[in-house]
Amino acid sequence: MDNALKDLELKLESLSPRGLSDEGRKSCHQLIDQLVDEYNIPSKTPDKGDRNWIGSAAAAATALGIGISGGWYLGMNKTPSLHVIDEQSNKASNALAFEHLDREKWIFAKEPPNVYVTKSGEIREISREVEVTEEVVQHRESGVVVTIETTDHHVVDAPKSDF
Amino acid sequence: MFDRRIDPGEAWREWLEESAPRLLAYARARCNDAQEAEDLLQDALIKLWGYQKERACRPPDLPLAFSVMRYLALDRGRRKGRREKRDRKIIQFQSGEDHWLDPTLEDSEEAKLLRNEVEDLPDKLREALTLKIWGGLTFAEIGSLLKISHNTAASRYRYAVEQLQKKLKHLHNIKNG
Repeated sequence: MDNALKDLELKLESLSPRGLSDEGRKSCHQLIDQLVDEYNIPSKTPDKGDRNWIGSAAAAATALGIGISGGWYLGMNKTPSLHVIDEQSNKASNALAFEHLDREKWIFAKEPPNVYVTKSGEIREISREVEVTEEVVQHRESGVVVTIETTDHHVVDAPKSDF
Repeated sequence: MFDRRIDPGEAWREWLEESAPRLLAYARARCNDAQEAEDLLQDALIKLWGYQKERACRPPDLPLAFSVMRYLALDRGRRKGRREKRDRKIIQFQSGEDHWLDPTLEDSEEAKLLRNEVEDLPDKLREALTLKIWGGLTFAEIGSLLKISHNTAASRYRYAVEQLQKKLKHLHNIKNG
């Protein structure tokens, strides 16, 4: 980079970006205090025994699956077995066992968009975006917090306006 | 739980004081106005706090903060269903006196000129320039953030500076006859 460009860089660096407005700063400080306070609330530290519910839940689900399959196989087309009723009530009790804490969603692009020209001569760009949903749930009994992350892939096809 | 020897609230407030102008400069390059940029910063604070819980609630590194700001801005734009509108407004957001850079050069006229030209740069070039000059990120960090190679990040930055220089030269020539 030649000296003229270096000189320009220095001039740019001397243009300082504006900070938060007084109101914005106040809001941010309140937000920080709130986040700290919420995090500071004493919560039951899960012990080793508490964590077993995850394993137990998985084992119960497997056993339930086997039970339902077995029941279906043995009962064939007969009236719904007790296992099915158990499954429904189990779903409801599972929902009750967890408290929904937070749900957030964000989107990011994995690669730069590809530009193409349609038959009518329109210039468009196509890109792939990944939508991530993060749900945080807490097991009421043990206090263990679990984060569930799901991803969806979208194709975005839009006219290109920036060259 | 965080390390109780350090007050996390104080640490985050200090971090905010130091980083807010840089993050806001970037937010302004992606939002319609100052208010929306500050809203974006607050959303980012919540997100970053969530991330930093696993890191003893320490304030985040700047590249992570920029990355969160970028994703939130993308999400915000998409949620409102106004991608094209946003692209148009990015070019127009500096209308009137709603500027995001303070001219502090001795030659304030030149500084104002420079500021206006920065604001008129194409989106991609201004983004690279903002992250380098006011964000203080390396080209590798910019590349990682924008999902481009560090060479492309460096090229965009250099092209932005060259464009600014050309425009300034042109304006000076006009001024001096």
